[in-house]
Amino acid sequence: MLYCEKCGVYLSGSMERCPLCQGAVTGQPEEDAYPPLPETARPYGLTVRLAGLLTVAALTVCAAVNYCFPEGGWWFLFVAAGLGSAWLLTGVALWKRRNPMKAIAWLLAVVPALVLAWDWRTGFMGWSINFVLPCFIPCMQLAAAGAARILRLRPADYLLYLSICILAGFFPLIPLFCGALWMIYPSVVCAGISAISLSALLLFRGPALKAEIIRRGHL
Amino acid sequence: MSNRSIPPWWTLDNAAKIFPSTGSAHDSKVFRFVCELREPVEPQLLQRALDRTVERFPIYRSVMKRGWFWYYLEDSPLPAQVRREELPPCCPIYPSVRRSLLFRVLYYRRRISRTGALNFLCALVYEYLLLRCPEELPQPVPVLPYDASPAQQQADSFQKYYEKPKGRSMGRSPAAYQIRRERLPRNHLAILEGRMPLDQVLACARARGVTLTELMTAIFLRAIHAGMRVRDRKKPVVITIPVNLRSYFPSESARNFFATINAGYDFSRGEDSLEAVLKEVRRSFRENLTAERMRERMNALCALEHSVPLRLVPLPLKDVILRIANKIAAQGVTASFSNVGKVSMPREMEKLIHLFSVFACAGMLQACACSFGGVYVVSFASPYRACETERVFFRELARLGIEVVLTTNLPPETEVR
Repeated sequence: MLYCEKCGVYLSGSMERCPLCQGAVTGQPEEDAYPPLPETARPYGLTVRLAGLLTVAALTVCAAVNYCFPEGGWWFLFVAAGLGSAWLLTGVALWKRRNPMKAIAWLLAVVPALVLAWDWRTGFMGWSINFVLPCFIPCMQLAAAGAARILRLRPADYLLYLSICILAGFFPLIPLFCGALWMIYPSVVCAGISAISLSALLLFRGPALKAEIIRRGHL
Repeated sequence: MSNRSIPPWWTLDNAAKIFPSTGSAHDSKVFRFVCELREPVEPQLLQRALDRTVERFPIYRSVMKRGWFWYYLEDSPLPAQVRREELPPCCPIYPSVRRSLLFRVLYYRRRISRTGALNFLCALVYEYLLLRCPEELPQPVPVLPYDASPAQQQADSFQKYYEKPKGRSMGRSPAAYQIRRERLPRNHLAILEGRMPLDQVLACARARGVTLTELMTAIFLRAIHAGMRVRDRKKPVVITIPVNLRSYFPSESARNFFATINAGYDFSRGEDSLEAVLKEVRRSFRENLTAERMRERMNALCALEHSVPLRLVPLPLKDVILRIANKIAAQGVTASFSNVGKVSMPREMEKLIHLFSVFACAGMLQACACSFGGVYVVSFASPYRACETERVFFRELARLGIEVVLTTNLPPETEVR
């Protein structure tokens, strides 16, 4: 065992200096009780920072070119909005990477908001509510059901998110009943799929869903 | 409906309700219990022992989930696996990159570490030793002192003993001195573990007419004071001490059941001799450690959880509120000292075990103590690069004639001040 005269304490381990006073130690070293502190790597750290730098560089170049040649309008704003949307989607996916079901539910909220915003800022031709949303939502429902199956999740781990995805399928009915659509078929199909899925969910997984709601909502 | 469809779940107890909201990478709230055996650990046997132990403690086979209003525990099919120690001590368990059970079982050379509860580690070491050294144990096999049924383990004792507090609340404590030093990189913790003969420390405490916890608290207060800058010395040094409520209210629960008391000393007003500090610490312990005061503290803690407006706040907002409340409460505390007390194992097994030790990550300087088989271990877990307080603390013990043996996880270059 080692000994530090200055501190008057014995030291167990293989240290060359006293951990208290950094002074010299005497005696025989022993095996250490702890492994050395690891160098923990940051996952995504370098990739995310590189992507961030590239984004800023691309934006700066576009802004500079657009400023020098302003004849075509302020197209650089579209580049900025596009890159912003891409970052938002990647951010949500990375943030919720631990739970794919949660990621799907979040994307189901973020993507429609982005699509509506793009449609609105580009003259509101209605492509978002007529086509994109009624097609996107069933795709996400399928993705949620597929993820639950592939990852072999327990009902407690997927039921709530699957229900959110199914309920979102009724959202296209709002513009439909308000008469805002010029192409009604995708929305009708989307709501139909959702109605069938919802009944299946309630009939086959009703009690488990009820238990999940009680758990999540306990006060 | 099968068990697979509707898994069992448990609400968190009062103390645990606050932890997930206020935990962070530098304040992981992870407790670690260590058992050092006489022989190197055999991982396969440890895994078998762990499988047996988990069956006895169903509540630990659970994951943390977010509800709309509170976090809760849900039964999980994830396997509990032993791992060789590689991660830094007490790194966060929740949230982590992958959903995991709320404990880790680690081994390194002769040591088995378990983050979480002591009873679980004792049961694990018990099972391991039954498998590892059957020939050294007498027949019939010794019985583990802790034998609560799963229902007793799962009981929330805070709920059982809560009464609505009448009259005054605890109020805000005055601002205490805060240690401000350079932190270790990547939220690492510096562990300094000092083991000493129990009879020597007990004799030292008895000679002064105080308990072991009172003696250690007083030495700790003085050690913090020694590292203070002169301009900080007008603030009191306050140490928070968790008190096991099981001593006051009968409970076999494997869940949290504690309240904290504060012991402080204002060095600008009193003299800084050990005797003077001890006198004040003893006075505040005697004043606070009564069944009546503990009941008051427990009820005040639980009142928060029982307040209807707070219960109705959605969880994301509750996270923010509790984090702010935790920051405000932390202003009243300099460091923390937990005395876990005596660890009991069957007498026949004691010769196979070298020591038990415990430490925790609390975002501030934290000391924990426990005793086993005549060895008293005080472990400091510090987020700071310099170990000023620990140096004064252990030197003081050595000065009092106690034989201290130190162990650390720090390589020499990290400690350079």
